[in-house]
Amino acid sequence: MTSKELVKRSLDFSSPLRVPRQLWLLPWAADHYPEELAQIQKRFPDDLITSPSFYREALKKMGDEYSPGTYIDEWGCRFENRQKGVIGEVKEPLLKDWRDIDAVRIPSERLSLDSKKVNEFCRSQSQFVLSRSCARPFEQLQFIRAPQNLYLDLADQPAELIRLLGRIHRFYCEEMELWARTEVDALVFSDDWGGQISPLISPSLWRKMFKPLYQDYVDIAHGRGKYIFMHSDGWIMDIIPDLIEIGVDALNAQLFCMDIEELGRRFKGKMTFWGEIDRQYLLSYGTAGEVRTAVKRVKESLYQDGGIIAQCEFGAGARPENVAAVFLAWEEFQASP
Amino acid sequence: MVIEIQEALLKGRKEEVEKLVDQALSSRIPPAQILNEGLIAGMDRLGIMFKNSEVFIPEVLVAARAMNAGLAKLEPLLVRDGIQPKGAVVIGTVKGDLHDIGKNLVAMMLRGAGYRIIDLGADVSPEKFAAAAKEGRADIVALSALLTTTMIQMKNIVETLRTHGLKIPVIIGGAPVTREYADQIKAEGFAPDAASAVEEVGKLIAR
Repeated sequence: MTSKELVKRSLDFSSPLRVPRQLWLLPWAADHYPEELAQIQKRFPDDLITSPSFYREALKKMGDEYSPGTYIDEWGCRFENRQKGVIGEVKEPLLKDWRDIDAVRIPSERLSLDSKKVNEFCRSQSQFVLSRSCARPFEQLQFIRAPQNLYLDLADQPAELIRLLGRIHRFYCEEMELWARTEVDALVFSDDWGGQISPLISPSLWRKMFKPLYQDYVDIAHGRGKYIFMHSDGWIMDIIPDLIEIGVDALNAQLFCMDIEELGRRFKGKMTFWGEIDRQYLLSYGTAGEVRTAVKRVKESLYQDGGIIAQCEFGAGARPENVAAVFLAWEEFQASP
Repeated sequence: MVIEIQEALLKGRKEEVEKLVDQALSSRIPPAQILNEGLIAGMDRLGIMFKNSEVFIPEVLVAARAMNAGLAKLEPLLVRDGIQPKGAVVIGTVKGDLHDIGKNLVAMMLRGAGYRIIDLGADVSPEKFAAAAKEGRADIVALSALLTTTMIQMKNIVETLRTHGLKIPVIIGGAPVTREYADQIKAEGFAPDAASAVEEVGKLIAR
């Protein structure tokens, strides 16, 4: 069974021979633990990979997003960073005054996708391939307006906010359509919706403003026979039923911010949980034994003839032995053939 | 009238809060009463609602904006009457960390609860915390960190404060931070969210 088949069986709840796996990496890991990382990658190769971007036109960004200093993304948003290997923060809004709304530049270079190259890449791989595109309307709004302004905007609901969100969304739809016409296996979108113990905005506002956008992304993917994956950090229990309703196939969420057993009782078998194992405490400060227990808990709560991708992030502060312990434990607890 | 101020504040209606504060002053309600029974009581109610997930960050921010507008009208009168804040809190995100949404939220809630806030911003060194705490005669030092790699700075800050002879209680918070970690670095307080931070600061000051 190839990696791709394993992932598809997991997504379709049709008993994969083992739980497919994927390691997410921040450059910090390679900077601090190059040898250990290489060993982990050799011992536990990914079953899911992301396609390179293959743009015909260069993106108009400046600097390195993972280096200390300033990085400007392709939208023109300015990130400040203090630490090597992690991404920075927007400190000054790109759009300070709504009168400048038309100056917000849509990065149309991302629409210069070379589909032929994407397809060649997909055909050359045995893994399940995810699109490089990643629609994130809420986060991009935060980068453009800066978080505090955006939260006030969401409360005040100025017409300009709706207009800007509409422009961003139309761009993302166009980009996702392009990727959906390639031979990737799944499209991806992402927005961090959770704080530590609750959603960042009210579920009702989320349903009104953002759920319809996500429905469009799901429809684009499913309309072309692709799976659709979503990522969100934080506590998002309240919106998971909506994500299932609109058809999200796989969700990468911070399971350990939520009640994992409740997640299992309510959502097991209804969507695939694309990781993760707690990166706020366990991977950095826990023991390999605690990691093993955590994996067992996830398996027992969420596995149902599939429905799990063993993902974790080797990010800033994580111990390599704990990252390895995640995948060792999944081998131990994986589904019986 | 003070109840109306609370209600307008909870709805984030800045102009209405300003108008009601003016009306209350015209009706000869003492500024301290308007502050305590109107604005602070409104923010207390908001804190409970936030903790219970009845309101979220946007609602908190617009309420804080309304609170600040009302407070701006009262402040000169409070100074005139010799009304002191509940205490002074030095707050900041630790060195190496630029994340400040959570810290800003806590600062707003504390200001709304009647504390004087000395906000040092983000990426703040231990020495700067110590200097600001001394200069501002702080009652509490509040530390925020989002990253597992930066939360270790909290220990340095606690130690630096103690080295400078400052026995001010320290409260910590942020995504990776736990009560156990607070105990480990000898920080007196921990809060998992902004509303709890207000409660915890109140307890620490009352000790």
